[in-house]
Amino acid sequence: MDYYLNLINTIGIHTLLGLSAYLLILTGQVSMAQAGFFGVGAYTAAILTVIFQWSILSAIGAAMLVAGGLAFLVGFPALRVRGLMLVVATIAFSEFARMFFYNLRWQVVRDGTEIGPNGTMGFAEIRYFNNNGWLNWEVTIFLWTFVVVVMAIIWWSDRTRVGAVLRAVGEDELAADSTGINVTVVKVAAMTAGGVVAGLAGSLYAHQVTDLDHHTFTVLLATFAIAYPILGGLTNVFGTLVAVVFIQGLLVEGLRFLGDWRMLLFGALIIVAMNFKPMGLFDNQTIRILQNALGIKRRGGST
Amino acid sequence: MDDFWYEFVEVTQTITDGLLFGSTYALIGIGFTLIFGAMGKLNMAYAGAALAGAYAGLAAFVLVKAPLVVVFGVSAVAAALLGYAIYFTCFRFIPTHNHLAALMASVGGLFFIDEVVVHVTRGSPLTFPSMFDDIYFEIGPFGIRGDLVFVFIIGLLSTGVLLYILFKTRLGLATRAVAQQDIAARLCGIGVHTTNSVTFAIAGVLGGIAGAMTAAAVGVLSPVMTVPLTVKGIIVAVLGGLGSIPGAIIAGLFIGGFENVFLYFRGIDERDMYVVALLFLFLVFRPNGLFGSTITRD
Repeated sequence: MDYYLNLINTIGIHTLLGLSAYLLILTGQVSMAQAGFFGVGAYTAAILTVIFQWSILSAIGAAMLVAGGLAFLVGFPALRVRGLMLVVATIAFSEFARMFFYNLRWQVVRDGTEIGPNGTMGFAEIRYFNNNGWLNWEVTIFLWTFVVVVMAIIWWSDRTRVGAVLRAVGEDELAADSTGINVTVVKVAAMTAGGVVAGLAGSLYAHQVTDLDHHTFTVLLATFAIAYPILGGLTNVFGTLVAVVFIQGLLVEGLRFLGDWRMLLFGALIIVAMNFKPMGLFDNQTIRILQNALGIKRRGGST
Repeated sequence: MDDFWYEFVEVTQTITDGLLFGSTYALIGIGFTLIFGAMGKLNMAYAGAALAGAYAGLAAFVLVKAPLVVVFGVSAVAAALLGYAIYFTCFRFIPTHNHLAALMASVGGLFFIDEVVVHVTRGSPLTFPSMFDDIYFEIGPFGIRGDLVFVFIIGLLSTGVLLYILFKTRLGLATRAVAQQDIAARLCGIGVHTTNSVTFAIAGVLGGIAGAMTAAAVGVLSPVMTVPLTVKGIIVAVLGGLGSIPGAIIAGLFIGGFENVFLYFRGIDERDMYVVALLFLFLVFRPNGLFGSTITRD
């Protein structure tokens, strides 16, 4: 049972991470900085609950603010670069953040043991949930509340003017600029929002696994972050969720019976999926099939 | 005064070693730049294929005690075949305008190649035959490692051959034509897919050589090297200006040199931190790289 709860938690955290990249990809920015913001959120929240003994909610809030603020600061210089250059600039940021935590040592003595980030040894004993007697399913519900709220907010704003503006910038910056959209504001706002969501994901992650290691926040995690929205499709937020379930649930956990061959299939399936569904697994075609199957009438004009 | 002199010698030595080792970064970077120049797309599986090629070379060495030249030849051919396979599976059938899907597919390719390697070698690092490591040139107070010189020379040679192919042969002409304007190239009777697959194969040859060079200079071959090599390659390609071969060469040597400078002054733990910080700053102030064209729309 705990095993499945853990899997559900992982899916929730990765969904948040994917959504943070989704916001940016809508504006046409492929950002590898999400792993960095994720790490910043994780370490900030963990330091606050472990060393300063804050409550979980205020720690999460603070982590979101710190990660968002950092994203805002990174957003401005990153505006000067685009496309592949942005990918590399954001990789540079993520790696810098990772190396920073790799060298971060901040230990305090509490109850006779040393706690806090310990450089290369990682940051162990983040036991907020344990110490406060949370049950596993309570943690899962707590975590998924955040996932549902974030998904609902993004889903809703996607259908308002905000979504249209984001997509307009993503489709064609020059055209968007000439219709009076302030491209700078939109891009920095998307970067900041992405940072806030990634920070949230990170802070939840830190308390769920209770043990942080700089190896978690590598380019690989950043690749996964952008992989979810691309693989799932940019039609709406559920694409990201579908992709996370596909990768974390089906490929990583569901194929465990295949043993070592599982990872081989993993890469091959991504290639197959992209060849047959270049617009993502959850594209308009899939939605149409689902709607027909469920007997839902389509609104006019949406193809 | 003696201290200063000692320091000076040490630093110069460090930079020289870094520059020589940087030639492997340069080759990998050229591969990325070549593919980007031809298709405007990023092939994430490239460095993975390069290292897989080096594994094939190593297999030739272990199984039949192949001589040095054959080891490099097998690496190059294997990586070229892999490059072609990657083109076919990850780029050929995905709509041209869909950059994200091709990027993602090649990430899948990277995972796949990496896992095959892990599976075959059972994940453990293997020793790669080091070449000329018993030779040591001494010039005054400086010493130069023979294997690094060898790596550097191979790098120069392969770059020379590549430039010859690109600028002196019909094949190179076709490649450059497709890179410039694929529709116009098609109207002139150049097969875009054929040319692109040849570009991938040529880039693969370079990658295989670079992979074998890296392995020879480091002394081991391990699946753990794939991701850092991919990142380094992309960084070099971007730093040099995408699509620019001279840019990639200079950027590769730069990165090699700077890495060793920071290694000397700040130690291994903090080295990469300063390298990436420098990279970020550089990109902010010079968004198109060293030799990139100043296209502002993509």
